[in-house]
Amino acid sequence: MNAVLGVLAPVIMTFLIGAIIIVAIGEDPLTTYSVMIKKSLFDFNGLMKTLHFASPLILTGLAIAVTFKANIFNMGVEGAAVLGAFFATVVGFSLQGVPHVLHVVLCLLTGVVTGILFALPPALLKAYFRVDEMVVTLMLNYVVVEITKYLATGVFKDPASGYVSTYAILDSAMFHKIFGTDITPFFFVAVAVFAVMWVVFKKSKLGYEITAIGLNPEFSEAAGMRVQKKIIILMVISGAISGLAGAGFLMSEKYRFTLDFSGSPGLGWDGMLISLLGGHDPVGIIIAAIFYAALKTGSEYIGLFTNVPKEIVSVIQSILILFLSVKFLNGRFRLSERIRGFIKSRSRSQAVAGEVKGDLQ
Amino acid sequence: MNLLSSILYDTVYHSVPLILAVLGGLFAHKANVLNIGLEGMMLMGAYSTTLFVYITGNLWLSVLLGVLVTLALGFVFAFFGVTMKSNVIITGLGINLFAQAFSAFMLKYMQLANINVSNIVNVSELKINIPVIEDIPVIGPLLSGHTPISYITLILIIVVNIVMFKTRFGVYVRVVGENEEAAKSVGINTTLIKYVAILIGALLCALAGANLATERMALFTNNMTAGRGFIAIAAIYCGNAMPLKSTLYAIIFGLARSLAINLGLFAGPVSGLFEMVPYIMIVVVLSVVSAVETSHRRVRGFTNG
Repeated sequence: MNAVLGVLAPVIMTFLIGAIIIVAIGEDPLTTYSVMIKKSLFDFNGLMKTLHFASPLILTGLAIAVTFKANIFNMGVEGAAVLGAFFATVVGFSLQGVPHVLHVVLCLLTGVVTGILFALPPALLKAYFRVDEMVVTLMLNYVVVEITKYLATGVFKDPASGYVSTYAILDSAMFHKIFGTDITPFFFVAVAVFAVMWVVFKKSKLGYEITAIGLNPEFSEAAGMRVQKKIIILMVISGAISGLAGAGFLMSEKYRFTLDFSGSPGLGWDGMLISLLGGHDPVGIIIAAIFYAALKTGSEYIGLFTNVPKEIVSVIQSILILFLSVKFLNGRFRLSERIRGFIKSRSRSQAVAGEVKGDLQ
Repeated sequence: MNLLSSILYDTVYHSVPLILAVLGGLFAHKANVLNIGLEGMMLMGAYSTTLFVYITGNLWLSVLLGVLVTLALGFVFAFFGVTMKSNVIITGLGINLFAQAFSAFMLKYMQLANINVSNIVNVSELKINIPVIEDIPVIGPLLSGHTPISYITLILIIVVNIVMFKTRFGVYVRVVGENEEAAKSVGINTTLIKYVAILIGALLCALAGANLATERMALFTNNMTAGRGFIAIAAIYCGNAMPLKSTLYAIIFGLARSLAINLGLFAGPVSGLFEMVPYIMIVVVLSVVSAVETSHRRVRGFTNG
């Protein structure tokens, strides 16, 4: 119950602030929010679209959780997803005459391997030289932007396209839509990874070690865990899932790599919000991913019914992260206890006031 | 300008916003508040200053207003991070995303692709050319022809060094960072010190943003800080949060960018790849610095401290 309230309180406060911003630009927040939610959750096609957009977000959310929970701040999820998508595209359009299933698997594997290779340098630097992984991964994200920009405007540019874009992947490498809805087999890939990660988090020794390292790495080391090795393993898992997310999103939605592939603020950043919202817990993450995908799907419709720019969703997202950075009900800031304490002290002071009154009379 | 003087000039040009962010970030870092929000504060400074120039038409009034807006953002960071005891890393990332999302949202709302104020702010008139010195080779491009905020930065390097080591406030900041409980026990208001440290960061980041967007380009585009806040954090790490040492690292990164741009001109088709040199260099420098520190370590296995 407390956990649910702890997530709901920041969400409600964020939507209130979002509403103030919408009112400030002279629009109606209720219409905006109701359009967003109706079109994304209470409409069959909209719901399928939401689940479709949730697929990569479930993966990036898990990729963030596996490192953040161990207090490793891997910001490279964004970069790994973009780079994974890029090389999956290259495999997707360059291999010809490969059977459908094999081609899809090859593209996904390319994404996974790229993600792992991208996550390894910061992991090794962190484990053996204690280089701050956050700065390194953030810097490598910019390197990815430059590399993909260079390759997409140069060697792999599709001359037929009017803007910077690679060739489209071949039909055999695409995830196809099921029964005319927006959902593709990629959603089930994401759910499968979720199932595996659930087992890892909840039932495996590694899951326990993630929690322990997150709480106190020195103690974990002293207790016999090989923290250096674990950091590398976690970063590799994170990189692999991120690369898969990028590759899958490309093969099920974008089909060709463009410079704005990851969107704004990007799959990796969305994943961070989702992981925080879900409390770094797999089940929480899947719920948060669907919630966030609903916002994203809904934002596509805002422009049709109101004059609010759809960028409002990223504003809402950033405010939500601010609120989520405070542990609302558990941890150091015990809101529920404070409220309870406040009520108690109020009732006590009222009782005291009553007694005083009684004495006076 | 020949190649050498343009490299030197660009080094100063690209170092200034980094140095400002470094000097601002130092205090919070010394007070043991990891301020990841430098990037967002810089972006907010750049956005709000340019927006106010667009509205009011007065550059220095806008810089002042931009500073105030950024201070408000810094206050939000301090409130969450210090008073509410949040996870400051995540708060900082929230600040960064907010600055980025809010400026993009407002640009879209105003139906602009970017804010161009070149009809109000004349960039070349802002550059201060010092007579005689501007003609001296090597020293000329280093010292002459820069913007007012650049010269303020030069003074600030010295001021920050004095504040950090010669004033009571500087001592308090360092004590709070070293041992908060001890600081509390001798009656230092640790919350206040942390707030001030964070707000100094916001102030200097606002100036960095104003320099980056308004003063030298008269233009704001989405996400134009492009990781400079994080480069500043890397410089602070490498320089151990010592003002002069960290400034030196900021200049090294400015030099890397300057070299990348100037040498990229000769590289032809691969010039795009030169853009990533500064980022890679930061990873390399940070690794070397950390590796040297690690080699002095005597504890077996993994430690975080």
